[in-house]
Amino acid sequence: MKSLLSKISHSLFHHLTWKGYWEPLVQRFKPAWRDGLFRAQITSATYLNPNTLQILLSPEKKWPVHLAGQHVSLTIEINGRLTTRVFTIASGASTHALENELRLVIRIKEQGALTPHLPTLSPGQWVNISPPMGRFALREDKDMLMIAGGSGITPFIAMLEDYTSKHAAKHSSNGCKEHHSRQASMKPNIHLLYYAKQGEHLLIDELSNISSKLPNFAFRLLTKANDGDVERYLPEFYTYEWMVCGPQSLYGPISKNALANNISLESEHFTALLPTVFNSSEEEQTFLIQHDNKALHVNNQQSLLTQLQQASVPVNYGCGMGICHQCQCVKKQGIVRDMRTGELSDNAEELIQLCVSQAVTNLELQS
Amino acid sequence: MTSKRTSTITPNRSNKPDYEKLAQQLNAIKTDIRARVGNEDAQYIKRVIVLQRVCEWTGRILLMLGFLQPVLWAVGVLSLATAKILDNMEIGHNVMHGQYDWMNDKHINSKAYEWDIACDGSSWNRVHNYEHHTYTNIIGKDRDFGYGLLRLSSDFRWRVKNLWQFITYLLLSVFFQWGVAYHEMAAERVFFGKKKDNRKNTVTHTQLKKRFFSKGARQLVKDYVLFPLLAGPLFLWVFAGNALANLLRNLWTSTIIFCGHFTGDVETFKEEDCKNETQGQWYYRQALGSSNITGGNVFHVLTGHLSFQIEHHLFPDIPARRYREMAPKVKAVFEEHGMHYNTGSFVKQYSSVLKRILRYSLP
Repeated sequence: MKSLLSKISHSLFHHLTWKGYWEPLVQRFKPAWRDGLFRAQITSATYLNPNTLQILLSPEKKWPVHLAGQHVSLTIEINGRLTTRVFTIASGASTHALENELRLVIRIKEQGALTPHLPTLSPGQWVNISPPMGRFALREDKDMLMIAGGSGITPFIAMLEDYTSKHAAKHSSNGCKEHHSRQASMKPNIHLLYYAKQGEHLLIDELSNISSKLPNFAFRLLTKANDGDVERYLPEFYTYEWMVCGPQSLYGPISKNALANNISLESEHFTALLPTVFNSSEEEQTFLIQHDNKALHVNNQQSLLTQLQQASVPVNYGCGMGICHQCQCVKKQGIVRDMRTGELSDNAEELIQLCVSQAVTNLELQS
Repeated sequence: MTSKRTSTITPNRSNKPDYEKLAQQLNAIKTDIRARVGNEDAQYIKRVIVLQRVCEWTGRILLMLGFLQPVLWAVGVLSLATAKILDNMEIGHNVMHGQYDWMNDKHINSKAYEWDIACDGSSWNRVHNYEHHTYTNIIGKDRDFGYGLLRLSSDFRWRVKNLWQFITYLLLSVFFQWGVAYHEMAAERVFFGKKKDNRKNTVTHTQLKKRFFSKGARQLVKDYVLFPLLAGPLFLWVFAGNALANLLRNLWTSTIIFCGHFTGDVETFKEEDCKNETQGQWYYRQALGSSNITGGNVFHVLTGHLSFQIEHHLFPDIPARRYREMAPKVKAVFEEHGMHYNTGSFVKQYSSVLKRILRYSLP
């Protein structure tokens, strides 16, 4: 059916997809109706602390239910421009089933392209989400150590929420306290080490609530300043399997430790976070770019087009001055500088013109 | 073509502008508008697309009701022609210029958009955006100047065929979509192997031919086979309606485009003049190679704002609706530099085009 409609729209309306042809019209009646993405309606947006926002979303019925630990991309229109970022879902599939609700817990980054605009979302507003992605999931047959850093608590909250509703529900229907604890003691242990800055641990009430329902779950709230590095806590968990969600600075030492001790490690670390201060373009730097299937090094002095041509990569080009859009390609990720204005691009996927763009970070391009 | 330049068109301006200042002033106008481009423009282009869809479907349905009342058919033809004009001009041309790429929309961007015309979008994009917009009115580089069919300045040697070039022009207008499609394929070299050494090929001839035939065929099948067949017994009503709508669109687009570049006062340039040109010189050339048409709101939308051809050539990737507010500022800058801001009513500009075609049909 879908391919038939695509054929029709291709041969009768010159549009790649049927939905694409109708999109602007349907959006008049169904805001944010978009080809290839799901709609979701904002239920609420509230601050958990001065720089962390909790957003509740109610996705449309067609949305495939996620597994705890998965993430979605969130797309919102900011001044006419669609901007997308990926966030882990901070609620379980059980909540989704009960209340048709998803929760995102998002740290607002002042310089960000998307997050500073999130507080302006109002209840009832429509946004877009992707299908759930990722395979970061809890194993229930092994002793598990969860290590969270900052907003990296989100997948674990989702996992624990689902785990609780699955196992705690059984107990209460059982009604037998003794049986309950015996059964619990047979269950594998789950231990959470949660690092955050002093006073910035999120969702503590929920964690306490879960630990009161699950005897096999315990958690520790840690700060680097008071409690030291994560390595000192790891030896007690050498018999566990480990999961990490947090910044590279947390993930790095843990992955080394896991490797040295032959421990299975699942992770969802924030990959190479962008440098917060960009060096001025005068200082020469080299970056790695992936162009289609070819990898090469480029500097931040010349345009990407010049360097691709020097490396004999076949690229279309035209005027060389940013007018004709012939050298345009899709930047999958990374930041470029517009050589005409000095403006820095977004980190997400967008179209760029190679002849007037310089690399500011590593890049992934698609012609 | 010869490099001899007998000049009929204001060749030696005594007072060239201060190029650097010109560039600064025009850049300032651009920066100011670019900062304001946003939600308003996104909503605007979507509104135009919605209007296009409504016109298209109204047109297609009314074409089939012609057997009840021929007036309905006639309204259908007008409605479908309007849809095609909107699609080609305000939506297609402008979206494919990258004016709306900043929206990050999967369908409304210069890479994805394909228009309702025989000419393949990506081929058009290459020739139009690159050759025409970069080398505007440079004889020998901008093949859009006269489309290789008409002699429109004395930069070209007179040939006997120029005697009847007014008829060639009428035919070109009638079959404009095919003229454009064939032209953008760089027809003379793709099909007959004539090489021009000043042009770099980044797309192979085989690819170009394939695109020409696949898009052209798709367009023919759509207009003259599929839609008429869908109408069943009303085949001929729809067939004729589509043909007429295409004709109206061809005449309109051709007329507007000719008014933008071939009015009497539009200047041409030599390749040598433009080697290593600065941004200011580039702006200058764009400015004198284009002409505007005055008119009302609906008129501007139907021309895809090519009635602001000067502003379009100066700022090809600014959303076209913004040319309206840029125009007075651009005009003031031109006046300051003593440059001619070529504008006038449709009647004035079009008669000037016709005169030019006739004038150069004679040696």
